[in-house]
Amino acid sequence: MVNTKRRSVIKLAGSAAAVASTGMAGILASGRTPAYAQQKAVHWLRWVDFVPASDTLLRKELLPRAEKELGMKITLETVNGNDLQPRATAAIQSGTGPDLIQAFNTNAYIYANSVVDLTDIAEDMSKREGGIYKYCRSLCSDGKIFMSMPWAVPGAMISYRKSWFEEVGFNAFPKTWQELHDAAKKLKAKGRPIGQTLGHTFGDAPTFTYPYMWSWGGKELEADGKTVAINSKETLESVKFLTQLWKDGCDEGALAWDDTNNNRAFLSGTISATLNGASIYIESSRKPDTYQTEKGTPMFKDILHSPLPAGPAGQFGMHLMQSDMLMKYSKNQDASKEFLKWIHTEKNYGEWFNSQKGYSTPCTAMWEKNPLWDKDPVMAPFKVAARLGQAPGFAGLPNQKAAEALSKYIITDMYAKAVQGMAPEESVKWAEGELKKIYAA
Amino acid sequence: MIEGSIWRKWLFYYVPLILFVVVLLFPFYWMIITSIRPDGELYRPWNAVNYQPFWTNKPTWEHFTYLFEETNFGRWMWNTMFIAVTSTLISLFCGVLAGYALARLNFPWAGSLGTLIFITYLVPQTLLFIPLAEIIRDFRLGDSPWSLILTYPTFLIPFCTWLMMGYFKAIPKELEECARIDGASRWKAMLFIIIPVALPGILSSGIIAFTLSWNEFIYALVFLSSPDEKTVAVGVTSELIRGDVFFWGSLMAGALLGSVPVAIVYSFFVEHYVSGLTGSVKG
Amino acid sequence: MAVTAMSEAGARRPPPRLRKLEDERWLAAVLLAPTAILLGLFIAYPFFEGVMLSLSSAKVGDPGQFVGLANFAKLWDDNIFWTSVWNTFWYTGVTTVFKLALGLWLAMLLNRHFKGKALVRAFILLPFIIPTVLSTFAWKWMFDPTFSVINWSLFKLGLIHMRINWLGDPTLAMSSIMVVNIWRGVPFFAISLLAGLQTISPELNEAAAIDGARPWNRFWYVTWPLLLPVTMVVMLFSVIQTFADFQLVYVMTGGGPANATHLFATYAYQIGIVSGLLSQGAAVSLAMFPFLFVIVVVQLLYIRRVETR
Repeated sequence: MVNTKRRSVIKLAGSAAAVASTGMAGILASGRTPAYAQQKAVHWLRWVDFVPASDTLLRKELLPRAEKELGMKITLETVNGNDLQPRATAAIQSGTGPDLIQAFNTNAYIYANSVVDLTDIAEDMSKREGGIYKYCRSLCSDGKIFMSMPWAVPGAMISYRKSWFEEVGFNAFPKTWQELHDAAKKLKAKGRPIGQTLGHTFGDAPTFTYPYMWSWGGKELEADGKTVAINSKETLESVKFLTQLWKDGCDEGALAWDDTNNNRAFLSGTISATLNGASIYIESSRKPDTYQTEKGTPMFKDILHSPLPAGPAGQFGMHLMQSDMLMKYSKNQDASKEFLKWIHTEKNYGEWFNSQKGYSTPCTAMWEKNPLWDKDPVMAPFKVAARLGQAPGFAGLPNQKAAEALSKYIITDMYAKAVQGMAPEESVKWAEGELKKIYAA
Repeated sequence: MIEGSIWRKWLFYYVPLILFVVVLLFPFYWMIITSIRPDGELYRPWNAVNYQPFWTNKPTWEHFTYLFEETNFGRWMWNTMFIAVTSTLISLFCGVLAGYALARLNFPWAGSLGTLIFITYLVPQTLLFIPLAEIIRDFRLGDSPWSLILTYPTFLIPFCTWLMMGYFKAIPKELEECARIDGASRWKAMLFIIIPVALPGILSSGIIAFTLSWNEFIYALVFLSSPDEKTVAVGVTSELIRGDVFFWGSLMAGALLGSVPVAIVYSFFVEHYVSGLTGSVKG
Repeated sequence: MAVTAMSEAGARRPPPRLRKLEDERWLAAVLLAPTAILLGLFIAYPFFEGVMLSLSSAKVGDPGQFVGLANFAKLWDDNIFWTSVWNTFWYTGVTTVFKLALGLWLAMLLNRHFKGKALVRAFILLPFIIPTVLSTFAWKWMFDPTFSVINWSLFKLGLIHMRINWLGDPTLAMSSIMVVNIWRGVPFFAISLLAGLQTISPELNEAAAIDGARPWNRFWYVTWPLLLPVTMVVMLFSVIQTFADFQLVYVMTGGGPANATHLFATYAYQIGIVSGLLSQGAAVSLAMFPFLFVIVVVQLLYIRRVETR
């Protein structure tokens, strides 16, 4: 082919330049280990953890121990969660980069062509630890191969101010959307609205909009995985209700919040409840003097967690799901597999799990019985996050198309548009059109 | 010039000027105050009673110490500096030579070549991005500063060439002809007569090129991966935003320190920058 | 050959290897070589590949096949794409007008002697030289819905009673982004126009003043025409930068709320790099090129006309 010919010319020129440049780079960037040293090495790309203690644990204890026990060099790189996908895309296209890349939610499907099958390691863990939850399995495995190794589910629950809800007559968090509407209306009247983002942010926006839609009976697809089914009476109801809830009970500034805004708003006492990971609770209990209630008591004592309320069709949750992809371009596949096995042993993984203090729920059933969950009743609702989760693309599979819809924020935008004043019928139709474009191709 | 009484001078001159300075510099003041404000004060809503935006009673260095102890900030500064300086030098070298050729030599298609180089400046970065990633793979430059040093000139060279063309055009032909009558070769005339005269222009394109490479973000974000290789802009944003918690204090501290080198370059060279620009546009 | 004709001027003949360089054509080729190699390798070739990409069905990790103009046909039906087209023009147009007006005003203010002028001149350049990503974070922090110092100030001044939701409202979000762009661009305009102003000899203005011209007329008939070439060049560069802007929007809103603030570059990034649909991302980027090309050609032609006048 013409293509290959041109490529090889470039490659030829490339290798010449590479020789020249490594020479130069070698002199200039002295102190770097030479690339040709035949040492096993693994480069692991993860997000910067919500819980700083977990990154410290990995860096200072777990990885040095792994290096010693496995006789390899392990580099941990952490980046902002929103930057993981661009990095993965560039790494795959350039054929160099981290050996292990963390995937969020449905992302493993996007990169399915470029990853190594991890079935043996995953099934091994599943057998050892009482089975991988359906939710985690559907996100990591397309039924043929495991595209990524399930890591953990940072649960998304509503964090709320116990005393504020009591003041308006709710001794527990509202169980249905209607009840939540009543509570939120009263709270907003007192200047304490509910904070929920509908922005383009990978965490807090879709983990709200998807389960919210399901709880009303709305769904993206029929079970055949092809027919777009979003334009339904149920979806429309949900959109109408949300615009009302938004006006009556939500912080209207939240439309473009990213994952960090609601944390700050909550910690500063401007919102009464928000869907989030446990990071608000963890941050406030870490710094009881910094974050206080209006009465001057530590805020973390006034925080409780609750799953999202139920709708006519039931109660749902969608959580972030983290897994690790072993990349096809990696030259350290065996070492990486070895490392994955090592880190997923009960002892090693358990240390990491403990450092999360319940922020992350492991992907296998065994961990539900872990004594950690008894330590702090506030964290107990997170125990079953992974068990109850449902994946995007419902009632189809969370495949590459579902991933595309997710990363285009179609469901989130459907609600955001209506909240901004578009007629609910129009916004649902818009979402239907967008989904059809994706599923038609 | 504004003539007339003192109040007119104030109204039409000093007041607008002061307003400009305040508005242009306020974000920097805000960065400084944020970087020395303790966390407890940082996270107070704007309508809280004790919200004091413009001052803090308990300044702290904790954000700066965090920056240096918990992140590789020093290393990032060095990387950014190294990449910016090297790519600037490469671009200047190419730009000066090309600018000279296009502005002062007679050869076929000189005009269209100039336009062509200028047009390359218009090619969107987002389009080049994926193919460049593949070239970097073929050159085996992934995760090395050279991946940026060699790609930054793609937007620096057209800029330098263009500025230098303007500058070279402004230098009278006679200068060169005199030298050649005295027996200097064309090559020498360029090297020893014309280029020294163009020095202010070279400096000013150098400054702009340096700023542009210091400023670059997308390529740096995706072509570099090891924590040790990152540049300031990428390092600060990727390590100081922890999931859904921003480390605002340290983020601002990093932003401030990250702008110092460029600020120093400018404070020394602002005169040259201005005169270089004047030269380039006179042509 | 031309070589001999040329070298008769010199009494000492250059060493043989350099003799060829006496020929302007050879010298030009040598001088242009480094630029040609670098730009050819890192722009022309990737550009060609990018075009091929936009005509394929490539996804990340999947080279795909040739599909002709299918990606562009898809864009035609894509209303987010048209929003970004409109946004990009609006963004570029509005900010350029403001940057020019404010920059010119500031340049006029600076074009006289006062104490501390050098200091002021150095300081006001700060917005332009600080890395965009970092300064934009400062602005994001200032626009934060919960902690906004801007809201606080407006509230204290009695101008607002409720907080303004800077980045959450689609129109306001676009305006906020424009404010930051203008803030960043004004110093560049001011300093460059100041440089232009300083080349205008004060005697011209004085002569006009003696003839009795009012300040406004003096500006319009003396200063402005002389300043026009500089202005056009500065605007040209500013338009190119603004049209292809990425970092500012990426940091401030990421294209939200509900895609209301996407520009060409951020939308291309969102589709191509984040969602991994390489070919469609390339198509969006490529679609930007003709628009930009036309704008720039018009500007260049205008500059030619102004300069030769």
